[in-house]
Amino acid sequence: MSSSRPILLVEDNELNRDMLSRRLTRAGLTVITATDGRQALTVMAAEQPGLVLMDMNLPVLNGWSACRQARNDPAIKHIPIIALTAHAMDSDRVSALEAGCDDFATKPIDFPQLLVKIDKLIRP
Amino acid sequence: MITSANQPATLWSDLLRESIVELRDMFGTHQQGFDAQTRDDFSRLFNGAHKVASLTSAQESTEDSHELLNALSAIRGYAEMLREDIGDQYEELNNALSQLLQIVHTGTGIETQDSTGVGLTIASEPGFILTVDDRRDNRELVCRYLSRTGHTVATAASGEEALETMSHSDVDVVLLDLIMPGMGGREALHLIKENPDWRATPVIIISGRQDMDGIIDCIEAGADDYLLKPFNPVLLQARIKAGIERKRWHDREQQYRLQLERNERFIRATFGRYLSDEIVTEILENPEGLELGGDLREVTIMMSDIRGFTTLSEQLDPSQVVKILNRYLGAMTDIIMAHQGTIDEFIGDAILAVFGAPQHRDDDADRAVNCALAMQEAMADINKTNRAEGLPEISAGIALNTGDVIAGNIGSERRSKYGFVGHPMNLTARIEDFTGAGELLVSDSTLNHLRGSYRVGRSQELRVKGIEQLVVVHQIMGVTT
Repeated sequence: MSSSRPILLVEDNELNRDMLSRRLTRAGLTVITATDGRQALTVMAAEQPGLVLMDMNLPVLNGWSACRQARNDPAIKHIPIIALTAHAMDSDRVSALEAGCDDFATKPIDFPQLLVKIDKLIRP
Repeated sequence: MITSANQPATLWSDLLRESIVELRDMFGTHQQGFDAQTRDDFSRLFNGAHKVASLTSAQESTEDSHELLNALSAIRGYAEMLREDIGDQYEELNNALSQLLQIVHTGTGIETQDSTGVGLTIASEPGFILTVDDRRDNRELVCRYLSRTGHTVATAASGEEALETMSHSDVDVVLLDLIMPGMGGREALHLIKENPDWRATPVIIISGRQDMDGIIDCIEAGADDYLLKPFNPVLLQARIKAGIERKRWHDREQQYRLQLERNERFIRATFGRYLSDEIVTEILENPEGLELGGDLREVTIMMSDIRGFTTLSEQLDPSQVVKILNRYLGAMTDIIMAHQGTIDEFIGDAILAVFGAPQHRDDDADRAVNCALAMQEAMADINKTNRAEGLPEISAGIALNTGDVIAGNIGSERRSKYGFVGHPMNLTARIEDFTGAGELLVSDSTLNHLRGSYRVGRSQELRVKGIEQLVVVHQIMGVTT
């Protein structure tokens, strides 16, 4: 899988951030990272990533709020976001979609499935 | 080994710890052969496990469920990457990693269950599950998981052990690993499905994804379901539930069938003595046609006895009396049953039989007449045998009467029989008193019910004790040809 634009991975958990960025890189994607919601919005505006993988439980500005802000910012509202949540509850799925996420994946991440979701969203 | 539901449940986190200890050992043995990246992945994997250990040992867990899932997610990711990188070269490590992934699945299943409270727990009737796997940790994982959800779990390490367990306990569902040393899953499955006692026990095959062909073979050989390793615990619960339900239905069906067989045997034994086989079969097939509660029905009653038998018996040895009587009653019973008559009772040498109960037929009266004629005809043979044995000849008089009687189970709790009560019964006995040797007398009402044509002899009017009107009876000589 390849994309001309990098994937932005927003994850405060060091272990997970490392693991996911390794796996995404191995899958042929370029990965940049951010560790909180505010940083994510800055990087999105500056780097214009092809897609964002965003943990919802972030410090400073949580994932739900970051998503909503991104959707209201004309400069970055077109960038697809996949929410990474720790819960498999239907209510989380609904809130993720309501917050403006395009898709969501639950932890522990089923990687092959995540790749399919990414592929669907970054394919022109 | 049997683990029951009320045993304190061991957490998946203990299994995770054991699994990590095993992995650390293997890592220690092989680490010289690994590149820096792999070594780093291992160390991060162990970090994740450490994180899980500290989170699960803490008392309050609600706050940290996100952290726990993060750690489990990391473990899963590193374990999957390590399998991709070195799985092919180190089989033992590959197995250990696969084991670890299975535990992570279990852990997340439980975690999701805890965080949602309801929903992912599949309620199932508790069952007796036999899990067959050559790997001890696999067995324990399934065992702990299932016993926590209320099932009783027995384990077996080989096909042979599984069959041994099945031979002395009533297993509800078998979880069968395909690849085991010695007797493998496939052979065990064949033996289970060949055994009539075990055939109905659902078998769920557990196998790796690479062995799809093996799974298809097993399903063709009678396996009920399959699960791929590492399996999802919720899916396991669902399959177990379906298996238990299937087994329960089968057990219930079996029970009903046995009960029906018992009832049928009882009915045959009870009715068989005074009803013909044909009638018993008919009753069993159409139970609604038979009301044993007691009902009024029109029947043709037969009363027969041996003329002058009391006098005769006084002149004979008791053993001779019994011999003559049994020969006569035996022959008559056969003839009455052949004509679908119901023998109500033998009173000494007298026979009381009824045509038309418990089963009504339109030709009840005709069968009764034909039966009586056949009985009279049979006397020639009986007497021939009697003569040959130096016994006296006998002759019977038979009376038939048709009328409404109450038929049903009559008697007390301790002793009751299917019998008949009513005025027509008494009348038949009175007519019988008037019959001569070898004679057949039928009442007016029986004659009126006849459809066939018969040679009717003299008719006479009888004055009968207890009845004001004269009773008209007719002598029947035979069938008109």
